[in-house]
Amino acid sequence: MLSQKEVERLHYGLLSHMKLQGEVEVQAFSDLSDKFILRNVPDGHALWDLSSNSGDLHFILEGTFAEYLQRGSHSFILRFQRPGKFAFSEDLLLYSKHSDTFCKALSHAKVASLPSVHFQDALRQGGLGAKLMEALINLSMTEYRNTTYQMLQTSGTNRIQAALEQFPDLLHLIPRRELADYLGISRASLFRSLKEIGHE
Amino acid sequence: MNSGEKAAMRDYFESLPVYSEFFDEAIDAIIASMDSGISAEKGKVLVELGATNKDFWFLKDGFLKEMYRSPYAKEDSLFNMIPPSSIFVNEDTLFANQRPQHYFTAYTSVEILRLKEADYLRLLQEYPVVMNLIYLSGTAEIQKSRRERLNMLRMNKTPDRIEWVQQQRRELYHIMDRITLAQYIGVSRASLYRAFEKNKKYQF
Repeated sequence: MLSQKEVERLHYGLLSHMKLQGEVEVQAFSDLSDKFILRNVPDGHALWDLSSNSGDLHFILEGTFAEYLQRGSHSFILRFQRPGKFAFSEDLLLYSKHSDTFCKALSHAKVASLPSVHFQDALRQGGLGAKLMEALINLSMTEYRNTTYQMLQTSGTNRIQAALEQFPDLLHLIPRRELADYLGISRASLFRSLKEIGHE
Repeated sequence: MNSGEKAAMRDYFESLPVYSEFFDEAIDAIIASMDSGISAEKGKVLVELGATNKDFWFLKDGFLKEMYRSPYAKEDSLFNMIPPSSIFVNEDTLFANQRPQHYFTAYTSVEILRLKEADYLRLLQEYPVVMNLIYLSGTAEIQKSRRERLNMLRMNKTPDRIEWVQQQRRELYHIMDRITLAQYIGVSRASLYRAFEKNKKYQF
């Protein structure tokens, strides 16, 4: 069960992405937020994986996650998910297909999760469910756009600076080798760039 | 719209993975609501996508450059290239009610069709299920493309990035000049030229 403070954070998170109109939506919102359940995710454990078949919606209360894209035998960090943000497999939750990504905790984490069945119920009822779906699509598209900004920087130094602006604690979250892969630069270039901006 | 424009629009909807004949009535209604006759010559900025524009745009012919102001560059930078038969919007305005941070310029001469926001909202009332499915499916395709490109931008060797464009974005590879290609794959011009000098197979 979520504490009052956690419920308030969840409400704030949801309401920062959609506006409620009328009593019916306010009531539906209250009913929906009651269906979120508290989940602890130990360091290194998955929030969802490639074999998951139901897409839950997660709101991160504590800890940070990395979402990986699987391509053949390799996996690449696609993006990071941090406290106060929603995390979900868009393949499973929005597009009802097999997930190409998996998501694991980079530190001990706590999330409020809305099981897929409740999300799908809300969608079928339209109104608030449809609004939530649109908000999640917009959120996801905006996140990809922000990450693309980082990756379009031609110099390693600018890439790191752009990534640190988005995730200030990035350097403490993942090993340097994974960070170099995430930024698309060699390890040598990563170390040179970190030195240049005074982080090594 | 003329018959060619209607056919292009219909082809787009029928190419979406969720398409079924059940959608036809709604698709006909969308097509009947769209405006045509919007074009721009090479190099022109699409002024139609102004600060408050929340319309849905369909690039029927030609290629567009999606530009943005990077805090790390002196000049505006390329964010993306938009090929024909694509939907594009002012994302900041539509999603977050903010001034657009991106703008579109014609890389070649372009022809565009438009579904006005008011018509979209009317059609959403009339066909809520189908319109939501089309919206979902359309965004899913955009997301898929963004995710793959992000993966390419994480390749740490320039030749790998060039080969990705050659294989995955053939249409763009053949139309982009080298400066645009360098921006599209996130490398410096010098790095791109070095890769081209080393490998003749990248020649356009």
